[in-house]
Amino acid sequence: MDSVTLDQPSSGIQVEDKGLKKNAISFVSNIVIGVASTAPAYSLAATLGYIAAVSGLGLQSPAVLLVCFFPMAAIAAAYYYMNRADPDCGTTFTWMTRAMGPWLGWQGGWAIVVADVLVMPSLASVAGIYTCSLVGVNNPSTLAVTIIGIAWIVIMTVICYIGIEISATTQRFLLGMEFGTLVIFAVVALIKVYASHPAHSIEPTLAWFNPFAVTSFSALDGGILLAVFVYWGWDSGVTVNEETEDSSTAPGRAAIVSTFVLVGIYLLVATAAQAFGGVMSLAAHPNDVLAPLGNGVLGSPLDKLLIIAVLSSASASTQTTILPTARTTLSMARMKAIPKQFGNIHPRFLSPGFSTIWMGVVSTFVYVLLSATSPVNLIGDAFTSLALTIAFYYGFTGFACVIFYRRELLKSARNFLYIGVLPFFGGAVLTWVLIKAVLVYSKPHAGFAKPFLGIGSPIAIAILMIIIGLVLMIVQRITMPEYFQRRLEVVDPSVLADAPAGRAS
Amino acid sequence: MSRGIVVGYDGSECAKSALHAAAEVARTYSEPLTIAFAYEVSPVGGELHDYHLALKDLATRRLNEAKELTAGAPGQIDTTIVERAPAEGLAELADELDARVIVVGTRGESALRGALLGSTSHKLLHLSRRPVLVVPIDYE
Repeated sequence: MDSVTLDQPSSGIQVEDKGLKKNAISFVSNIVIGVASTAPAYSLAATLGYIAAVSGLGLQSPAVLLVCFFPMAAIAAAYYYMNRADPDCGTTFTWMTRAMGPWLGWQGGWAIVVADVLVMPSLASVAGIYTCSLVGVNNPSTLAVTIIGIAWIVIMTVICYIGIEISATTQRFLLGMEFGTLVIFAVVALIKVYASHPAHSIEPTLAWFNPFAVTSFSALDGGILLAVFVYWGWDSGVTVNEETEDSSTAPGRAAIVSTFVLVGIYLLVATAAQAFGGVMSLAAHPNDVLAPLGNGVLGSPLDKLLIIAVLSSASASTQTTILPTARTTLSMARMKAIPKQFGNIHPRFLSPGFSTIWMGVVSTFVYVLLSATSPVNLIGDAFTSLALTIAFYYGFTGFACVIFYRRELLKSARNFLYIGVLPFFGGAVLTWVLIKAVLVYSKPHAGFAKPFLGIGSPIAIAILMIIIGLVLMIVQRITMPEYFQRRLEVVDPSVLADAPAGRAS
Repeated sequence: MSRGIVVGYDGSECAKSALHAAAEVARTYSEPLTIAFAYEVSPVGGELHDYHLALKDLATRRLNEAKELTAGAPGQIDTTIVERAPAEGLAELADELDARVIVVGTRGESALRGALLGSTSHKLLHLSRRPVLVVPIDYE
């Protein structure tokens, strides 16, 4: 780690909070964290097929990835300003609690946990499938994938529990490899498309990037909902940005750079994959789009590089799923919103031990449950409801920012735009996507699995999660009422005034 | 100015042994003793403010405990929180204080277990530019 900090020894114990400024990390590390937390190779491997499978979307998958960038960038502004006012590892939970009250705040925290738990089956099955591809098994049985997937969750949970963290250098190396492989894959695929026209290949046209070329509105909406997922995670880069070494760096510069890096790589790879294999090949294997394509594009044994890139990306993603979830529940416990054991720090490993183990156990349980229903693709449906959950809490973070800063919005045009208009726009778009998606996916045959009680399975999973959340919240209200008596807060105006020189620009 | 003794303390049984030995050394040679709790918060995994506070709370509690354990010992005793990975942090603190020796406990684990779970004493032996005193867990 680049962080070097020593408190001056003194006769007393230093307890005052000096913030994390001194724990500075470099600008490049910051970009790496933002991009690595989003796990581009895994995100593409897990999402591209599902986006291509949205009926009516046609060739416009790249357009969907492009469109989704705008509301997500707007939400990034909300994260940036909320983090500035209250750098709390509960993020959405804490911010919604302050701006919108404890009830909604609790649901915000619950949404983060649900999203993280629902992504684990997808992560684990991608890890399982790609591990099999790596050793040359191309159509592994569900049982084999599940066993490898469970082993994966257990290993990653233990790593987070023991607190083994890969160093910044290793992380840079892994991310560099992931990026290099994706770029090589995309470039080779495009060259082959133009040079040798492999079967099913199509030459890209500008219309692929044009969202208005999507004929069906609900298809665009469904696509955007799934695309929310590929950008999920770069709030890590936004929120640690405050700690950048060079304090004169313009605000969020690392976050902005990592966003553009992501958009670029997503568009490139999505275009190349679609051009090489056509839409059908993407939609036919929604769980493992890159593995079969990699073999066609790079040939053996180079295609293994792509598989290794997806696996290392998935491992980074598992870590950046377990760590923030454990930190969210730690934060909730410290605010007395959930039992205090979740705030326990392991005496030796200094990790949020209880929260971490709990996260691993619940994830494994959900994964086994969803896998047991095979051959119906409940993991795919869980993935869709995961996107709903992310849209909910990202959207509400946007609104929370506007509400929390409401007294500051009219003080300058800059405030109005960055703290008012942008977060509201992001929140509104995501809410709209959410509502539309609920209408679409609640139809009986919208999911991969059979409908439950006449409701499409993605929505049925979401409703189940909401009910569990409400029950747990009411139990909390009865057993630990203190948190629920919190009052609404607004931002302290000095948060904006205190901005160090160079940050206010 | 005397150069002092640095001891790593995390509240574990072996840390208590180390503290005991360090206090003994400090008393024998009339050196000031600095008790340090070291931890690292990694920015990987996003937001960490609350986690950082929780660690700081824990460190403060442990150091208070250490103060109580060494209450009544003659000489100057300081406590400090080092925000860095323990082995690197202790080595650096010792350099900064120009300490004579760094004292740490050892859990008495097998080499494999230590390698898997992370052994501060082992890392420190390689990192430190100063003498290191490693205290076995059952030292009284």
